[in-house]
Amino acid sequence: MTRLIRTWAPTATVAALVTALVTGCGGGDPPVAGSGEPEGAPTTKGSFTAVVSFGDSLSDAGAYAPATSLAGNGSAPYFGGKFTANSATAKVWVENLASTMGLLVTPAEVGFGTSSVKCPAAANPALAATCTAYGQGGSRVTDPNGIGRSGGALTVPMKTQIANHLARFTSFKAGDLILVWGGNNDAFVQFGAFSEAAQRIQTDAAAGRLTADQANLALFQAQNTGQAAMKAAALELAAYVKTEILAKGGRYVVVMNLPDSAFTPFGSTLPANVKPVLSAMVDTFNLWLKEGLTGLPVKLMDQNAAGKDVYANPARFGITNNTVPTCDAAKIAAITRGGVTDGSSLFCNSTPGVPFNGIRTGADVNTWQFADGVHPTPGGHKVISDFVTQQLKSYGWL
Amino acid sequence: MHSNTSIRTSLALLALSALCLAQAPVWAQNQTLKVGGIRYDAHSKSNGVTGIGIPPGADATVGDATTLVFTYEIEVKPNVGIELVIGVPPKIKAQATGSVAFLGEVLTARNVAPTLLVNYHFGQKGDALRPYVGLGINYTKFTGASSPYGWDVKLRDSVGLAGHVGLDYALSKDWGLFASFGMANVKSKLVATGATVLQSTIDFRPRTYAAGAYFKF
Repeated sequence: MTRLIRTWAPTATVAALVTALVTGCGGGDPPVAGSGEPEGAPTTKGSFTAVVSFGDSLSDAGAYAPATSLAGNGSAPYFGGKFTANSATAKVWVENLASTMGLLVTPAEVGFGTSSVKCPAAANPALAATCTAYGQGGSRVTDPNGIGRSGGALTVPMKTQIANHLARFTSFKAGDLILVWGGNNDAFVQFGAFSEAAQRIQTDAAAGRLTADQANLALFQAQNTGQAAMKAAALELAAYVKTEILAKGGRYVVVMNLPDSAFTPFGSTLPANVKPVLSAMVDTFNLWLKEGLTGLPVKLMDQNAAGKDVYANPARFGITNNTVPTCDAAKIAAITRGGVTDGSSLFCNSTPGVPFNGIRTGADVNTWQFADGVHPTPGGHKVISDFVTQQLKSYGWL
Repeated sequence: MHSNTSIRTSLALLALSALCLAQAPVWAQNQTLKVGGIRYDAHSKSNGVTGIGIPPGADATVGDATTLVFTYEIEVKPNVGIELVIGVPPKIKAQATGSVAFLGEVLTARNVAPTLLVNYHFGQKGDALRPYVGLGINYTKFTGASSPYGWDVKLRDSVGLAGHVGLDYALSKDWGLFASFGMANVKSKLVATGATVLQSTIDFRPRTYAAGAYFKF
């Protein structure tokens, strides 16, 4: 017996140990955030009765038109109102998409400064259900202090946009095509904060108050602070999708990630060492948005990749110029009597021959991509709505 | 399910170990305990550190560590033994290098790294000097990983080949001194999650230098 154990026990021990080491404790790679996918979105055609859009200036169907009142008192007629080259026929992508689907979508709220009207289209009772374009220029995901708010922009954050929809319609309907696309302004706010911090840090470094390493560390931390805020905003947006849209009846839900604003005329003006920080803000948001939506029954549409594709291959999309804004900042400054000096397309009108035409001489709002530093022309918006339509078809929804 | 299996395996292992120990007195001097100091020269190399907002050329290097080492060896045949080597888990520190060198120390962790080796001992029982070589498996688990930057750091467990060469010097029938040099193949994927997600694969390639005393029974 002893003899048997002598020869057998150690071998068995070794075998057991090796088994324990190799299989029992292996573990596998640590989880990497953002490597999962949304799952379980519908695969069948929708019977759509409404396009419900939440977002920012890219999806703004004219919320701030009163700021462009020709009379200057907030009353119609307006010479601008959308963040594109405005005209009687200029449409943003949400409007294009709705019209492709045989639907109409109108702004959920129109106003500027202290006065605004919810669902102005409801003045015609037949249109009372069309005011589901919630996007507003400057809006952020959660923070009501959007870009331009101090100047009168409403900047209702997406969180409140969704709450407003629920307040008006009680719930989401199976016939709603729900489009969620925001966070760009969070990226701009964080990028702005980084840029201010970077200037201070560089000034201190130049004056010898910081060593090169200390300055680099401070820059890293300033960037990381912005990235942390982008992470928070993305996870908040994903949570709203889950608890305020999906849990409240939303069935056909598209969430779009952020395009990289480094690939715009504004982005091209940024110094080479700063531009990647803007991209990092966007990419951080997109990473955590994907993480937050993992396993949820939505479609995550990759506007980031689509935007880069258009920027790299403009001709394929009928674009002949993607570097110069069609709106002329000097003309807009003159039209607004010096009130708007940044060339914002909100105040840009492309109607030929009118005194308030703000288009750069020789520019074409259908073949030039950008109206101002970051916003598309109607031609640029058509590229977006074409992409969205094609994607929706690929989902089997249209 | 998985952990149950592993618990059961561990229990079986404990039972077997107990059995071995219980039987020990009848085996004359075929078991050895060693205790000593060990120096881990991390000698690490990584494929760089990548992540959103991390500039190209970012990297990190793992510092050296010194700790106590214990080994238990049982003779299975003349000249052949099976040895389990366990060190008191040392604190290892990673320092940022390359384009992010200004970050300084970026993480600390402890590595629990048992190594099981099959040794061949040259010479014969009773020789004063007995060199040995061994080849086996190292298992490394990283615990308590933390970062001064607040990242949630996870490292994959590593299983890899290990080998060593050593020399035993007998002071008496039971007691002696030893010195050894070892190498192990320790590779781990690192994921550090904060505002962004940092990833790296670190090839630790540790070299170990150990020396101490042994007792045969």
